[in-house]
Amino acid sequence: MWTRTVNGRALHFYLAGINNQNFLMRDEETGTWWQQITGKAIYGPLQGAALELVLSDELTFAEWRVESPTGQVLAPVGKYTKEYDPNWEPGVAKLPVVISFPNTELKSRDVVIGLTIAGAARAYPWETFAKQSPILDRVNGTPLLLVLGPDGKSFRVFVSRIDGRDAEFFLQTNSSADAKGENKTWTLLDTTTVSQWNFQGCATSGAAEGKCLDRIPALKDYWFDWRNYHPDTTVYKH
Amino acid sequence: MSAPSANSQTAQVHSSLWLWILFSACAFATVALFFIPAFIIRPFRYQGPRALLLAMGLHQRAPLGTLITGLACFFLAFSLWKTVGRWRKALIVFTLLIVTASAVMARQNYFEWMFHPIAGPHFLVQSETKLDSKEMIMAVRLGSDARAYPISQMAYHHILNDVVAGVPIAVTY
Repeated sequence: MWTRTVNGRALHFYLAGINNQNFLMRDEETGTWWQQITGKAIYGPLQGAALELVLSDELTFAEWRVESPTGQVLAPVGKYTKEYDPNWEPGVAKLPVVISFPNTELKSRDVVIGLTIAGAARAYPWETFAKQSPILDRVNGTPLLLVLGPDGKSFRVFVSRIDGRDAEFFLQTNSSADAKGENKTWTLLDTTTVSQWNFQGCATSGAAEGKCLDRIPALKDYWFDWRNYHPDTTVYKH
Repeated sequence: MSAPSANSQTAQVHSSLWLWILFSACAFATVALFFIPAFIIRPFRYQGPRALLLAMGLHQRAPLGTLITGLACFFLAFSLWKTVGRWRKALIVFTLLIVTASAVMARQNYFEWMFHPIAGPHFLVQSETKLDSKEMIMAVRLGSDARAYPISQMAYHHILNDVVAGVPIAVTY
């Protein structure tokens, strides 16, 4: 998600093509070509410009509904509803890829969480992440906390620092989950202030109550796409 | 008396040859301005960096370029028309059809034929939506305004130009 104001002017984007399975968009105002994943203008009058990232989340509707009770949801467009496929992931996962990185750690369609800290990119294989969550890591000197939501699908990345001091977190699972493992709840505990934290990264009780961790933008992506645009990326291993 | 007539016939053949060459060149350029970018930027194909630049450069210039070369084709066809027989007339008409089709297509965004944009987005409060609780959404919060964009919808439309809390944003998936 990007802000679309460039040089004080709001641009309007439309779909214009595809570049190795990542789409290209153009703006109506200048006709410049932009790469979706990077937000960079790659050709045209604004070439070299970059859109500013807007912090966004990938969440289940259930998680978002609780967090944002007064929020609004994009309405489906009536005549296109048959084109919407809530179960789009297995279909896309089977599509062929046109670029691959055979001598790298992961397979093309492996799902990763990708993030960049001051130019240093790192990919976290989703499978590893889902098993290990929460993950504590450090990229370019910044301590990170990656957390899978209680729904097992939503995720967030935070700076693992409380009041400027590096912090460690661990997960405390509540035993109220039903047989299917649903309705599971948990809290994060930090070892420094022994406060309880929720999935929004805010302390709900303890010495840090009321404080919230800083967020880090992260993208759920296929390995080939992430690797293509972040050739120097490292891959999290543990 | 026969020598000047033969000369003028040769001159006519020469000028007609030049008209054919120009006509072919203009027709080829019009088709190329549409077809080369369309061929390079097609799904499920590798796009090399230089090929992509060429495609974007040609596509950017195609609306004006095909107008000039297309009009030139019609002008040249008009000049050639009276000098040729039925089969060549048919060839000229066929070429003009291809040229016109290329000039029209160079102005079309067929990617939006496949993935229609959202003309005027509407938003629902939670009680109005029929989304399943397990569906994935992209969420943004700016100030006190929170918005959710179901991924099933965004995976089709790909782009939404929205304004949240007064901030113009592009939601992309």
